[in-house]
Amino acid sequence: MEAMLEIVDVVTAYGKIEALKGVSLSANRGRITCLLGPNGAGKTTLMMTVAGVLKPRQGSIKLEGNELVGLSPARIVGNGVALVPENRLVFPQMSVRENLLAGAYQRNSSGEVAADIEQMYTRFPPLKERREQLAGTLSGGEQQMLAVARALMSRPRVLLMDEPSLGLAPIVVKEIFGIIAELNREGVTIFLVEQNAHLALQVAHHFYLMEQGRVTFSGTPGELAEDEVIKRAYLGTRRSAG
Amino acid sequence: MIPFIQTTLDGVMVGSSYGLLALGFALIFGVMRRLNLSYGPSIMVGAYLGTLLYIQFGAPTYVVAIVAVAGSVMAGVYVERLCFAPLGVGAGVASMVSSFAIWMQLEQASLLMLPRHSYPFPSLTSGELLSVGPLVVRPDYLIMLAAMLAITAALHLLLYRTRFGLGLRAIIENSVAASLSGIDVRSTMLKAFALASAIGGVAGFLVLSANQQVTAMLGMWATLKGLIAMMIGGLGSIPGAIVGGLVLGVIEVHSQTLFGPQVRDLAAYGVLFVLLVLRPGGIFGTAAVSESAAHRGGDRWTTT
Repeated sequence: MEAMLEIVDVVTAYGKIEALKGVSLSANRGRITCLLGPNGAGKTTLMMTVAGVLKPRQGSIKLEGNELVGLSPARIVGNGVALVPENRLVFPQMSVRENLLAGAYQRNSSGEVAADIEQMYTRFPPLKERREQLAGTLSGGEQQMLAVARALMSRPRVLLMDEPSLGLAPIVVKEIFGIIAELNREGVTIFLVEQNAHLALQVAHHFYLMEQGRVTFSGTPGELAEDEVIKRAYLGTRRSAG
Repeated sequence: MIPFIQTTLDGVMVGSSYGLLALGFALIFGVMRRLNLSYGPSIMVGAYLGTLLYIQFGAPTYVVAIVAVAGSVMAGVYVERLCFAPLGVGAGVASMVSSFAIWMQLEQASLLMLPRHSYPFPSLTSGELLSVGPLVVRPDYLIMLAAMLAITAALHLLLYRTRFGLGLRAIIENSVAASLSGIDVRSTMLKAFALASAIGGVAGFLVLSANQQVTAMLGMWATLKGLIAMMIGGLGSIPGAIVGGLVLGVIEVHSQTLFGPQVRDLAAYGVLFVLLVLRPGGIFGTAAVSESAAHRGGDRWTTT
């Protein structure tokens, strides 16, 4: 299996506190890779490091062999990596359409961008209805759709998603995961951070577990479901079929 | 009634220059969430360069205007590179403190060029008053008002009709989300800084040519007026800057007419004090501040 995104021995620190203590993992082309872990494990720090918002103290992050460490967040987007950040971070005072245009900021063909916006409206019908509405007035689920659509507007080869289910109603979460699976079927490589292991098990092809800044497990969904420790901590004690 | 209207009109005209000063301030604060205390001194550098050409070589007024704006932009970019380009945790305070240090540097550089306390500055008009019905208007004030309206309209078009404006608004709302959308935050910030300094340069030139003199107090004066007008309107708010400037102008001119020139600044500070107690975010600020904080959620990503 070919690695699309390869993270090797990454250390990221806030001052003296190392949030990532040498993280290595990879996301394979055309697959959904999921990173599990408790609060404070460093998952968001890892996402922000890959996206270039945080600079790692050491280590390497390669997209199809090209080093991303040291590039600005904008250049990393230009290289084909887009992050749907934790808490969505849509631009609340801008319309839905403007949010999508912002996502396509580096693209020059206005015709192609307009066509892609129409495609987003087809994929996410609520966004079409609300296209001239301010993003801050959307519901949580709609904002999540907008955040995903905004990231897709840069035509990424790898889509990073940081807890897309956070704070959303179960029915909306289901919808978002449907979208994730659909995007993946269309060939987008996805690297997903998720706390909800049950949900992630339904879509992801490979799992990593991160605890206190280190990767402590790597395996397939089957191996994850078999692991006693993970089962207790992340899948609950219920004897439901995993 | 006529004197009251006349005074208010004068206040609006004076206030339009404050509005322009505040506009530059608000643009920088909105984009960077940091205070540039060197804003006034940057304007002073441009104005002093223009004055130097005027008194040494008798440069025509339009040359003085161009040099004043260009010099202000150059000084502004210098301040940005030194104090504001470095980002990171704690950069907000560092920027403000270092912009205060650069204030002294820019002011001293200007005073080395022209050491006397005041110098003549070319006027744009002959000084004849215009009468509009029972009201009297100073033409140079009218130019100030027109410039304020034109620059506000141009800035609005820039912000809402261009890709650069879209990027700028995205950064104002959330710089991390903007960078994740592929917007080059650093270069956009530098351009915004240059633009803000240019607006400040225009405001400085218009005020000086109305006064027909430039004094060593210009840097302090421009920072103070711009800052107060912005605080009245709301930190970082662009409509707030204009409204804050107009409010400040009207209050100043009215209190001067009622109580004399000594009270002019006192009244302005008094109103600012009361306003900040009652409405700490300024006229346009409160809603924007709480809303952006609520939507930002990941507030820890705003300083990196």
